[in-house]
Amino acid sequence: MPLTPVSLVHQYLLRSAERCPSKEALIHAGRRVTYAELLARARSLSGWLVERRLNVGDRVGILTDDARDYVTAYFGVLMAGGVVVSLNTQTSSRVLASQLGRCQASTLLTHQKFVKYLEADDIIPSVGTIAVAGGCPEGLPSARWVDLDRVLYTDRGEACRDGDGPPVSPSSLAQIIFTSGTTAEPHGVMLRHSNLVANTEAIVQYLRLTEHDRLMVVLPFSYSYGNSLLLTHVAVGGSLVVNQTFLYPNTVLEQMIAERVTGFSGVPSTYAILLNRSAIRQYQFPDLRYLTQAGGPMAAKLGHDLKQILPQADVFVMYGQTEASARLSYLDPGDLVRKAGSVGKAIPGVTLRVLDAEGRPVGIGEVGEIVATGYNIMAGYWGEPEQTARVLRDGHLWTGDLAKMDGDGYVYIVGRQSDMIKSGAHRISPREIEAVLLEYPAVHEAAVVGVPDEILGETIKACVVVKDGVRCDRQDVLAHCHRHLPPYMAPHHVEFLAELPKTSSGKIRVAELRERV
Amino acid sequence: MADVEHRIRQYIAENFLLDGGQAALHNDDSFLEKGIIDSTGVLELVNWMEESFGFEVDDTELIPDNLDSIDRLAAFIERKCAKP
Repeated sequence: MPLTPVSLVHQYLLRSAERCPSKEALIHAGRRVTYAELLARARSLSGWLVERRLNVGDRVGILTDDARDYVTAYFGVLMAGGVVVSLNTQTSSRVLASQLGRCQASTLLTHQKFVKYLEADDIIPSVGTIAVAGGCPEGLPSARWVDLDRVLYTDRGEACRDGDGPPVSPSSLAQIIFTSGTTAEPHGVMLRHSNLVANTEAIVQYLRLTEHDRLMVVLPFSYSYGNSLLLTHVAVGGSLVVNQTFLYPNTVLEQMIAERVTGFSGVPSTYAILLNRSAIRQYQFPDLRYLTQAGGPMAAKLGHDLKQILPQADVFVMYGQTEASARLSYLDPGDLVRKAGSVGKAIPGVTLRVLDAEGRPVGIGEVGEIVATGYNIMAGYWGEPEQTARVLRDGHLWTGDLAKMDGDGYVYIVGRQSDMIKSGAHRISPREIEAVLLEYPAVHEAAVVGVPDEILGETIKACVVVKDGVRCDRQDVLAHCHRHLPPYMAPHHVEFLAELPKTSSGKIRVAELRERV
Repeated sequence: MADVEHRIRQYIAENFLLDGGQAALHNDDSFLEKGIIDSTGVLELVNWMEESFGFEVDDTELIPDNLDSIDRLAAFIERKCAKP
């Protein structure tokens, strides 16, 4: 029976809770949560937010690694008409203050273990309410701090906006996801309900997802890839088996077998870890139907090895951007060998073109910039009209990704216009790290580059020029970075130079710094 | 054993606890629960162990029981080094 169409993101949860209330939506940390339970909790949160006079369009930050609370909060905020601000749990006080402050979030939903980032009580003035699960900290001003567990267990009946009518519409903002760009601060990508719904429908279609699918989730929900895993599986009434630390891959593999998962999603480093540092060859996965990879093309050897180890699983290589709600293209599993290195063709509802700087299509096999059109394309960057105008022109998204297209229309990514670092699942702006390095009193000049890494794709190298007469070593620089940056943004390598290599016009020779490994 | 523990603690402090917090790490604290190490950190830790103590870690040995605290690591290293 065809599913009732939805136009708002939270209607996916409402629909699945109605169709299959007792079905497991989430399995995480020993807990099994049904769709009915998830909806009841989301309604409690939504009712509480409405009671506290959350206005439609108000931003609510979510910072937690508890999957049940994250998913509850995600749908609860949307039901109340709010805008979800998904926050990476690998954060720092500085990053958090910047992100919540910039989008003027009124509420933060979090867990006790992240309160350490909020200890200076005046850290984010816009946030009037901080709801904390796992025990509210003592000694903090009570008016601002609320026990989130109590909120989620209080039945507020129908005191919520379930989105059945105005004021939330498909063109209303649903979510802001921060993503690194070319500037020193990450951009807040604004996604409407219609963007997320269009992308979810397309992904469900090409992955042929049904309520029988059970996905192993190792990627964080706060990134657009993880977000799309959440939405697609809630949309079909499938199950999410969540283990997002991925510290011990063998534990994840055993969980995949025990939970009979049908799907697995990763970035290139996820698969590199599985193939090089896990016992994957010693297990069998009879229920595994498909694998997806985004965040980079799949190396021919990797694709070959995966097919050998998991012959029954379809391998989908995909390409996308946060600015496109997640997904722009996919390579059909049947083309994995024939079109090795390609990210495939546009997903349903999306048009991809490869254009030159003047907006003219380039010839077959020539390099140009990927320009995307579709209902999944973002509304813009929060509070950055100039940056938005740079990438969104007449409704078309200029991705900044350089690619060529073959005679059959398959896209091959060849690079990026910017010097963004891609390390594991993270996109990292060198400018953000340089800004922190330059605040260290001993540092005169700094440049940050990505250097090749077998597992992560790239690791971060900081090239530092120290002020005359000042002493400073690697540990000092790293300690400073770890104090102010999330762990994944801290450099792995530090090189001290007498001066940075520059062009005659004063631009730093980035390629030269990359080669000095 | 005390020497092995000391070396592990020093390695963890120099590579993962750079913002201070060495004193707060107990020998039986789970790296996973404390969020001290990420997935690539575990791989770096394993490489360090192999290089420093001269044995190879099998892929099947990459499990929390062997690796997920200073105590567990120390016991694992002792066991590996004791093998002929």
